[in-house]
Amino acid sequence: MQQSAVSPSPRVRLPANSYGIVRSVLGLVLILFMAWRLYSMLTTGTFGVDTWARWATSGLTLGAMYAVVALGYTLVYGVLFMINFAHGEIMMIGAFTGYLVFEVFNGIVVNPATELTVLNAFPIVSVILAFLIGMTVSMISAFFLERIAYRPLRGAPRLVPLISAIGASIFLQNAAQLMFGPKRRYYENPGVLPHFQGWPVTIGGDSVVISYTGTLSVIVSIILMIGLYILVQRTRLGRAMRAVAEDKKTAALMGIDVDGVISRTFMISGALAGAAGVMWGLHFKVIVHVLGFVPGIKAFTAAVLGGIGNIPGAMVGGIFLGMVEALGPGLLGIDQQLQDVIAFSMLVLVLIFRPSGILGQVLNEEKV
Amino acid sequence: MLKKRNMSLLALLILAAIMLVACGGAAGGTATEEVEGGDQGGAEGGEPAECAGDDFGCAVIEPGQTIKIGMGAPMTGDYAAFGVDISQGGEIAVQDAGEFNGFTFELVAEDDEGSGEGGAAVANRLVADPTVVAIAGHIFSGATEAAIPTYEERGIPMLSPSATNPPLTQMGSKVFNRVAFTDAVQGKFAAEYLYNTLGIRRLAVMHDGEAYGQGLAEVVAEEFGTLGGEVVATEAITPGESDYSAALAAVADADPEGLYYGGYVAEAVVLVNQMDSAGLEDVAFFGCDGTFGADFLEGTDQNGEGAYGTSLIPPSSPEKDAFDQAYEEQFGDPPGTLSPFTWNGYDSVAALIYAIEQVAILGDDGNLYIPRGALVAAVRGLTDYQGLGGTITCDETGECNATGPTFYVVQDGEWVSVNEAG
Repeated sequence: MQQSAVSPSPRVRLPANSYGIVRSVLGLVLILFMAWRLYSMLTTGTFGVDTWARWATSGLTLGAMYAVVALGYTLVYGVLFMINFAHGEIMMIGAFTGYLVFEVFNGIVVNPATELTVLNAFPIVSVILAFLIGMTVSMISAFFLERIAYRPLRGAPRLVPLISAIGASIFLQNAAQLMFGPKRRYYENPGVLPHFQGWPVTIGGDSVVISYTGTLSVIVSIILMIGLYILVQRTRLGRAMRAVAEDKKTAALMGIDVDGVISRTFMISGALAGAAGVMWGLHFKVIVHVLGFVPGIKAFTAAVLGGIGNIPGAMVGGIFLGMVEALGPGLLGIDQQLQDVIAFSMLVLVLIFRPSGILGQVLNEEKV
Repeated sequence: MLKKRNMSLLALLILAAIMLVACGGAAGGTATEEVEGGDQGGAEGGEPAECAGDDFGCAVIEPGQTIKIGMGAPMTGDYAAFGVDISQGGEIAVQDAGEFNGFTFELVAEDDEGSGEGGAAVANRLVADPTVVAIAGHIFSGATEAAIPTYEERGIPMLSPSATNPPLTQMGSKVFNRVAFTDAVQGKFAAEYLYNTLGIRRLAVMHDGEAYGQGLAEVVAEEFGTLGGEVVATEAITPGESDYSAALAAVADADPEGLYYGGYVAEAVVLVNQMDSAGLEDVAFFGCDGTFGADFLEGTDQNGEGAYGTSLIPPSSPEKDAFDQAYEEQFGDPPGTLSPFTWNGYDSVAALIYAIEQVAILGDDGNLYIPRGALVAAVRGLTDYQGLGGTITCDETGECNATGPTFYVVQDGEWVSVNEAG
């Protein structure tokens, strides 16, 4: 993991040319193989149009969530050049907070006659509050995470905070297990936003369900991405963040409070992870203390795919990864269990031809 | 240097001396006991002829002693719940058995921690007691495997309530039998139920790629094909994820009538929840004993209605209700809270008691003689014995569960056994 974390960074120079040729040939062979599988799968028409549509919707939903989590990785990497491996756990904290908010709202009865609870009486307010509280709690967690686990190691070699990050991840996971128990919890959604239901759309002679929660997740993700883009590009804090990312020492000389900016960067990334956690619970219903691990790894992959340190890159990487996971096995005609193999093969391929990720080059030009 | 070596030599000598003394004492003690026992039997002439003809001789239970049934079970540690629960089920079987020719039974549950070493150690401890005539165990497959040779040597029959590892009955052991059904048996019964009872002809099979789930799913697929059905899709999923909608959509593309899943409840919940939106609206979900439980109901809510599960828990019967009541009165919790094996624990001990009563001979001297070789044959020869979980009939390899698992279906948010389902 450390390898892939480091290699896309523009600072690493790739050695000798002969190595490059082997790489390219290997990559070409892989691409040709995939193209051949793709062609044969599409010409034989193994899967119906409705199945492709279902894969696309599930890939888009998952991809949108990966993108939001990936943004957090990329932001922190941008300013600190470190991978915050505890990011997935921050997301888990958000998911649990949202769950508790819903549980509390569902416990307050407004109308005893119909047993109407706050959750169902004010569903929109409840969902918005769940997002806001989830984001706030995750934000606070990320703030303390940075204070306790990373700030004391600011001057240390790059490997040290990485190890500390893994330690923090294990700590948070176990803390959650102690607090909430190892039992799986199930999100209690408001009645207007049921799990696993949606608008039926007839595609290819069969109805494909566009889920309510999936649609909500995609919309919220887009809002968050736009919001973050504006924050980074148009505000004073954003400018300070970009300056710190560019050069910490010079930024400090220009009167920027570097530690403060780093702290706020962590808080923003925490808030994003919290929102992703609430979306996760709303959409997938099941939450458990280890839920942050897999999406954390996937989102990290997405961030690297898109070009780590690059905000639009994380968005593109997330959606791309989600789509590849859902559509890849079908396109190549292999077992669905191998979806992760395809996802990580794509990572390898992208890194072979674009070592700094899909949009990584843009960042370099900007920086230059 | 020399001095040091001398010192350590001395220490070694002292240690050796202590060990010699200890061993000698123990050996002497056993020897005298044996001689005494032999004297009594011979002098009073109470020993029946069956004992002389038996390969392993007789276990002699003197008046005032109990007929002991041993059990090797994890009574401490991570898996203590299994050992405690199964031995509690066995305890009730002992109470139900009451007196036999003036003798009572006793269940001796020793802690083997579920491990191989523990299993061997417990087996050696149990065979050292001449009044232990049969073993209701062991509980875990690993411990069982390690214990079998010791019992084999002494001619002590075993009837395990829960050791499900298939090879255990394939090793040619004369003493090992089990009432637990193996995954192979479960898969066979599940395939038959899907094909014959539910009338499903196009089946999709999914599993989590783990030994248990995949093994089960493969058996079901094979048996289902043998019956004449068609397995239209096979998908493996990665356990522990929150989204299996892509795999389900691939399954839906094959247009199955039923979906069999081999794996555990966490993944089953996700699958069942996402089935409808993945295009499997009218497809029956059929789970295994890994997906059965209250957690499944809580996690699937409305989506779980009509899903099938498999369990060791026997369907309701007057005997089962009486057991449940006795269990709850004595141990506080309703049976099934600690493990799903407690009914098997009862059946295992009760069937052993039944076999012992078949072969035991009351001697003229008032001692109870139990020919060990005959008991081994009697346990292997159990036929149509009615236990809580169904009929117990041992085949020539020692598989004694003739009924198979009980199938359950979710109705109005409850698991209902299919016999009682409306």
